[in-house]
Amino acid sequence: MSETMSEFSAWFKDTFKKCYCEQGNLIDENQFAEIVQLVLDNEADEESRSIFEQKIRTCVKSNMSYEKEKSIKLEIKKKLCEHRAEMPNNLVSTIRKSVDL
Amino acid sequence: MSEETEQEQQARRQDYSEKEKTEIFDGEFMPHVDSMYNFAFRLAFDEDDAKDLVQDTYLKAFRFINSFERGTNAKAWLFRILKNSFINEYRKKSKQPNKVDYNEVEQYYNSDDVDESFTTDLRVETVQHMIGDEISGALNGIPVDFRTVIILSDLEGFTYEEMSKILDIPIGTVRSRLHRARNMMKDKLASYAKEMGYNK
Repeated sequence: MSETMSEFSAWFKDTFKKCYCEQGNLIDENQFAEIVQLVLDNEADEESRSIFEQKIRTCVKSNMSYEKEKSIKLEIKKKLCEHRAEMPNNLVSTIRKSVDL
Repeated sequence: MSEETEQEQQARRQDYSEKEKTEIFDGEFMPHVDSMYNFAFRLAFDEDDAKDLVQDTYLKAFRFINSFERGTNAKAWLFRILKNSFINEYRKKSKQPNKVDYNEVEQYYNSDDVDESFTTDLRVETVQHMIGDEISGALNGIPVDFRTVIILSDLEGFTYEEMSKILDIPIGTVRSRLHRARNMMKDKLASYAKEMGYNK
């Protein structure tokens, strides 16, 4: 897991830098969305998360982008989870029969 | 991702008794049948095919149960078998005409030539107004391997590392594929919203 984290840590730093201009303004919302997703998916390490959180506290545009990404992700997830296919009643018994249990 | 050698696999092979096999099957495999069916249905779009895929997965899981290490991630192990069955067998005999050669799509989206600048302006309120059917329709409209990462991550809650093992792809590819998949989905939802006049 630590190898994974360091892999994303380097990617995070590099990508984060590309998202902002010299004045610190957000200039690449698409790349920023990729960073937001890493954070929302709980895959960013502590250091990356801390850099991210500091930025969204001070940059209105980054904060709005984060909140929007978070709300859309939650809404999509909620509706997809509610819209699950109903499992056929006999599937469990058919499986058990097929493996002779 | 490190490749496991045949000797290493052999060394990890278990030798379960019949009683233990039944315990593992009932206690560790069967609790995931509902998730497995949903995954299969979202891949195949057909109740009978989804049922066949799940049955086939459980048959294989039972046949190769000695390759499963008790107490490890049974759900990820089963999802990996189902995904491989879908790719290797189902796609060949699919009832649905396969209009797109997925390998070509995959190569295209994973190449450096991809225009990453998605400009979808999807509003939160738009998604809130949509019903599950419409969201599912958008998910079903994206290529299968992109659809798969959304299902595994957002519906089934797998981590990137678990997805990397299920899909046999590097973890960095999981991250970038998920991002592209979500962009595709937003794009579909935005187009749909525009068609339906949701944005007015």
